[in-house]
Amino acid sequence: MLTIILGILEEGLLYSIMTLGVYITYKILDFPDLSVDGTFPLGGAVTVVLISRGMNPLLTLLFAFFVGAMAGIITGIIHVKFKVRDLLSGIIVMTGLYSVNLRIAGRSNIPIFSYETIFENKFIDKYIPEKLVPYIGLIIIIIIVLIVKALLDRYLETKSGYLLRAAGDNEVLVTSLAKDKGLVKIIGLAIANALVALAGAIYSQKQGFFEISNGTGTVVIGLASVIIGTKAFQNIGFIKTTSAVILGSIIYKACVAIAISLGLPASDLRLITSTLFLIILIVSQDRMRRVKDA
Amino acid sequence: MLNLVDIHKYYNPGTVNESCLFKDFNLSIDEGEFVSVVGSNGSGKTSMLNLICGSIPLDSGKILINDIEITDMPEHIRAKRIGRVYQNPAMGTCPNMTILENMAMADNKNKPFHLGRGTNKKRINFYKETLSSLDLGLENKLNVTVGSLSGGQRQAMALLMSTMTPIEFLILDEHTAALDPKTADLIMKLTDKIVKEKKVTTIMVTHNLRYAVKYGDRLIMMHNGESIFDKSGEDKKASSIDDILKLFNEISIECGN
Amino acid sequence: MKKTIYLVLTSVLLMSVLIGCNKKEKITTIGIAQFADHGSLDNCREGFIQGLKDNGYVENDNLKIIYDNAQEDGVIGNQIITNFISKKVDLIAAIATPMAQSAYGGTKNKNIPVVYTAVTDPVLAELANPDKTSVGNVTGTSDILPVTEQLAMIRAILPNAKKIGIMYTTSESNSLSAIKEYRAAAADYGFEIIESGIATAADIPLATDQILEKVDCLNNLTDNTVVSSLSAILNKANKKSIPVFGSEVEQVKIGCLASIGLDYFDLGKKTGAMAALILKGEKQASEMEFEVIDEYSFYGNSKVAEDLGIILPEDYVKSAKEMFNEVVQ
Repeated sequence: MLTIILGILEEGLLYSIMTLGVYITYKILDFPDLSVDGTFPLGGAVTVVLISRGMNPLLTLLFAFFVGAMAGIITGIIHVKFKVRDLLSGIIVMTGLYSVNLRIAGRSNIPIFSYETIFENKFIDKYIPEKLVPYIGLIIIIIIVLIVKALLDRYLETKSGYLLRAAGDNEVLVTSLAKDKGLVKIIGLAIANALVALAGAIYSQKQGFFEISNGTGTVVIGLASVIIGTKAFQNIGFIKTTSAVILGSIIYKACVAIAISLGLPASDLRLITSTLFLIILIVSQDRMRRVKDA
Repeated sequence: MLNLVDIHKYYNPGTVNESCLFKDFNLSIDEGEFVSVVGSNGSGKTSMLNLICGSIPLDSGKILINDIEITDMPEHIRAKRIGRVYQNPAMGTCPNMTILENMAMADNKNKPFHLGRGTNKKRINFYKETLSSLDLGLENKLNVTVGSLSGGQRQAMALLMSTMTPIEFLILDEHTAALDPKTADLIMKLTDKIVKEKKVTTIMVTHNLRYAVKYGDRLIMMHNGESIFDKSGEDKKASSIDDILKLFNEISIECGN
Repeated sequence: MKKTIYLVLTSVLLMSVLIGCNKKEKITTIGIAQFADHGSLDNCREGFIQGLKDNGYVENDNLKIIYDNAQEDGVIGNQIITNFISKKVDLIAAIATPMAQSAYGGTKNKNIPVVYTAVTDPVLAELANPDKTSVGNVTGTSDILPVTEQLAMIRAILPNAKKIGIMYTTSESNSLSAIKEYRAAAADYGFEIIESGIATAADIPLATDQILEKVDCLNNLTDNTVVSSLSAILNKANKKSIPVFGSEVEQVKIGCLASIGLDYFDLGKKTGAMAALILKGEKQASEMEFEVIDEYSFYGNSKVAEDLGIILPEDYVKSAKEMFNEVVQ
């Protein structure tokens, strides 16, 4: 029981970093960004290659973050400057990144079992008591998620963050404020994809290897988590949207874990996910209608 | 102050639907003028505003502000000196952000949107004062999202926000047309007060003939991309609403609300 | 409505817990995680179960097997491993490289041994050290392709051929290491390797047309994407009378001319025997080197040979483990 909860929390929280990125594009910017399927493994490729060249694993996360931001900027430029539709710009970048990721990694599968990662290193061996070792992965992930969430919450309260929210809310106002709404979108995509790449990097370090195919379906997981989170907790005032999104990611992973635990074949998991999706959407609409009628 | 010189604008060029809106259109507006623009549907009122603001490109001609050409300037750069209120109250505010956040954003126009706190706490009292001048009680709802306000309240906020920082131009794009008559009157009075206080050059497009006659010191009537009536100062005051209505009916339009 | 859903979710959670804690006496529980649905991997699994049976672990008697398939989704694969761990299995059998890596990475510090099979290059996958010793609580078997034997066979069947075409998916690391070996050994048999890398199954028709212009024969690897489109490739090759060689028995069955291949069932059986040693406590996975099968067999398809007008060398046919005289669709 403890292991399964531990597993769900680890996976759910790890993925919540990616989900926060999807939340920025999908919810705040109103931009369905498919490049995420490419930036998640991009982060993994960057971190694994740098680690195997001897870089400090924590430092590689920073590189993954910035390379992810670059990918987001490219999606943004394709959309804003070349006026390609949002979905298509995402698809273009996602497709291109597949080759880029292979180029960066050199091959489709790179293990780093023999290297130090943020989850396995001398520091942990030395200073963490034996009893805590099974929880250390979760603890590290919680710390990272808390930092990312605090920074994102803080950012959304800055002037720049206001503008980002305005760009998704009413882009005409951004223009009225004498700001280039295209630039704001590019910044938003950069932050979002940076977070996704960061999540991909942490995921690869947690797993101990990079595998190119692990990015497929990231955007679906992200969207599902965002929608589950925001819909399930939308009327609970004291829960911030960012917290709701993180909880959504945990719920999503919990459902998958339960389905697997019940012995449902992996081939049916997508159907289960989409059913869950649908139920949440219907329930939340139902509730909204009742509020309106009252 | 503002000069539109030899403006040409075609719609759907090169197609069977090609139509010419402006041909050699010229207009100049002096500093501090409050110009009301009326005209039939499709007469080019809103297109003129869009050309000035850069929302749509023009085919040829020049637009100058204070003798500086802005013809090729992107929309958001022009917006530095222009405040604009739209017909749709939803266009001037961010519905999912609070009143306070909206005010803080408007207050920061023409300053960098950097990583400092979005809302300057020291300015909150100023926002409250400004909002209380509307007499709508908004000063007590600072943390309410704008989306939950009525159309009139939102339009009042849009008006405040667009004139919060010093601007050279105020553009009012049928900004009372979507409101009920009582709220429209309120917004119109508010507009007049703000324009007089800030002495800002204003162009107001309206369907409401009464407003056009009552407010502003110059009145232009447009038809088929041309100005067919243009009187200011004493001339304008001398023309009665009936004279104008007669002309209006000649170009067969509705008489506004 | 909301309540109902929470109720359902909670009860589902509870049920899974109950199943997870369902311990019986003296019954060994193992989890088998397979990466993809794929003929040779299935054979591997069946062989593995047989290998356990031969060594005293009989399914539904003293052995409980939880089986799950990741359907080529690495993220799901990871969660399958987490599920196995939460069910406190005594051993995890992982079939194919990504699954083996997930299992090894996921069970660190968890004291659950991992036995893998169908991993082409355990060293490259960092599941074993270059001297074949284990890197942790993990061991297994490799399905490394008998490259030199295959090249020798092609030379025997096609004495005048010069160029061998190989199609592979750029994202499959097993294929990449196999290609490397072919490249290194080809010259010894007087061949030149013509490669064609593809990204998705959709690229295959075009890539096939192009490569068939340039080569004397095609040779398959165990590349998942290419193998699943094999019938389309065979169709095009047959029209041009270009022979296609397979890498294992299933491919010969569906229309490849011949193959020197390993028997995945045997490979699985060998892995099962290794797993039994660990379960009995006779050996630790960490002290076992990974193993390979060094007996390869010839498989031929006489129907295909006839259609192509090729006579298969007699000594090969005599030693064949299995000859097919029809093409199974």
